[in-house]
Amino acid sequence: MELKVMFFTSPTCGWCPFVEGILKKIIDEVSHLTLEIIDISKEVDKAEEYEIVAIPTIILPNNQRIIGGADEAFIREQLNFFVFMGQS
Amino acid sequence: MIISTGINELDKMIDGGLRTSYCYAIKGTAGAGKTVLSLFITHGALQKDIPVLFISTEVESDKIVEYGKSFGMDLQSFIKSGQLSVEKMTLKPQGVNLVQTERFDLSGIIARTKAKLQKINAKLVIFDSITAFFAEFQYEKTARSNFMDFIREITNEDTVLIFTAESQVAEEYATLEEFLVDGVIKIRTELKNNQLIKKISVPKLRSAQPTHFENRFIIDKKGVTIFRSEHPPISLIEEEKTGIGRLDELLGGGIPTGSVILIEVDGETNYFPLFLTSMYHHLSENKGVIIHSNVHMYSSKIVEEFKRSKSDITSHLNEGNVVFIDKYNRSVTAVEAREMSQLMTTDDMISVTVELMEAFAQAKQKVVLFGDLTDDANILSESDFLRYFALQSFNIKERRAIAYSFINFNAISREILARLRTTADIIIRFSRVEYNHYIECLKSSTGATFLPKIVKFNDTVPLIEIIG
Ligand SMILES: Nc1ncnc2c1ncn2[C@@H]1O[C@H](COP(=O)(O)OP(=O)(O)OP(=O)(O)O)[C@@H](O)[C@H]1O
Ligand SMILES: [Mg+2]
Repeated sequence: MELKVMFFTSPTCGWCPFVEGILKKIIDEVSHLTLEIIDISKEVDKAEEYEIVAIPTIILPNNQRIIGGADEAFIREQLNFFVFMGQS
Repeated sequence: MIISTGINELDKMIDGGLRTSYCYAIKGTAGAGKTVLSLFITHGALQKDIPVLFISTEVESDKIVEYGKSFGMDLQSFIKSGQLSVEKMTLKPQGVNLVQTERFDLSGIIARTKAKLQKINAKLVIFDSITAFFAEFQYEKTARSNFMDFIREITNEDTVLIFTAESQVAEEYATLEEFLVDGVIKIRTELKNNQLIKKISVPKLRSAQPTHFENRFIIDKKGVTIFRSEHPPISLIEEEKTGIGRLDELLGGGIPTGSVILIEVDGETNYFPLFLTSMYHHLSENKGVIIHSNVHMYSSKIVEEFKRSKSDITSHLNEGNVVFIDKYNRSVTAVEAREMSQLMTTDDMISVTVELMEAFAQAKQKVVLFGDLTDDANILSESDFLRYFALQSFNIKERRAIAYSFINFNAISREILARLRTTADIIIRFSRVEYNHYIECLKSSTGATFLPKIVKFNDTVPLIEIIG
């Protein structure tokens, strides 16, 4: 099953490039995971659709959200906890 | 651009109205009326064709529309015509789980808000409330400090931004947001004479003098009204008395001749004690009393009530000092009376009243007029009713008489009540909380106004007393 991670970013967000790098790295490692990057300054409709308030917001496939920038360990932990739990 | 709040008295308090590119905070404790006031400001702007974006962080947008409906606003039609957009915005939409860190900004909600406001070309943005909004953040301080960006970006669009914020009861210090905004509108609830009353003030206003006084803030079915809350009277030159000692005192010694007194009651408060006490007093001064009878106020009932209070007005009746103008033929029942409203036109009413006033004047008697306006308000068209009241008031002033006009404020529209209030010189309002009755003065020609005071009813004249 293909699972998608959504990453909402904006030009004003200082932590976003860093988080984006981590996400790309993790997702490269996992075959059934894809990443959609949405710059809300260009795609405000998407921000509206997903009711995005704070940036960065990461939406995991099970609708779990990570609000705010985090380091690799934290993001891996969340992914393991919410996405891979019971799958591997 | 200056946008009216739609509430005259509030406009005056904020230097004429809301300024675009300014941000205002409406502060108040839970249930103070922040949402209701926001709704009225929204509605006021819409009626002047100013598009509004209403962001709700507490409840779904259809709840906001419904809330408006409970005050007679048709917000749905403004949504349809593209003048209003009501949006629910929250960090935690339904069914979503969150983990949060401290490293975020609010560019998401900023971008969405900008898009929404540009779409309808909104000049006014309401954000109700920041308290509920911030409550969803684990790192609330970060959210609050980032909210500055929201304020800056939205007001930069040449709009007015109003946000509501819940204040704590004992909050004396200014909160962060208060430093950021251009104006603070504060609603406070206090316990006075055992009754909860609301007061509104403007403790902060950029580039204008803040109003360092509190006004009375009233929310009822009809919406919100602001009145000066308590003012000492100037002394009167030519005065009459109502016959209710403490009331006269509070009004600065009495009432000027030529006064039109509007007495607002809810449907269940009995205004007869005030009516009869005043009537008795005026009769004792040998004045001529004219009564516009209707189903609530008619000859046999009045005579009966006087008998019960052991006051004799027979001599006044015999001398013709009391005249009833029976507009709706008193022998019929209440229901029939309404149907027979054509018996006498309002113009007939006015001319008969004027003739009587002249007759009393010939006899060197001053005149006092009593009437219950409620039925007239319901039977007549709005314009006829207002014309009738205006004409009547004109004659009262012209002939230096006094009129006591009673109205059930629950039975008339907000607009009509507002017009009556403008015409009236003195506004007395009765209210009730459980078994306690209160009286307050919202307006008077001497400048005197006072907050609700406890009312006591007696079996004999004076049938009504004011405590405190
Ligand atoms: N239809 C109505 N008729 C009379 N009074 C009403 C009506 N609707 C609301 N109120 C009064 O308005 C007050 C609530 O106002 P509002 O919802 O604006 O409060 P608020 O300040 O937004 O509170 P919160 O912090 O809970 O959001 C209540 O005190 C209620 O008595
Ligand atoms: Mg509210």
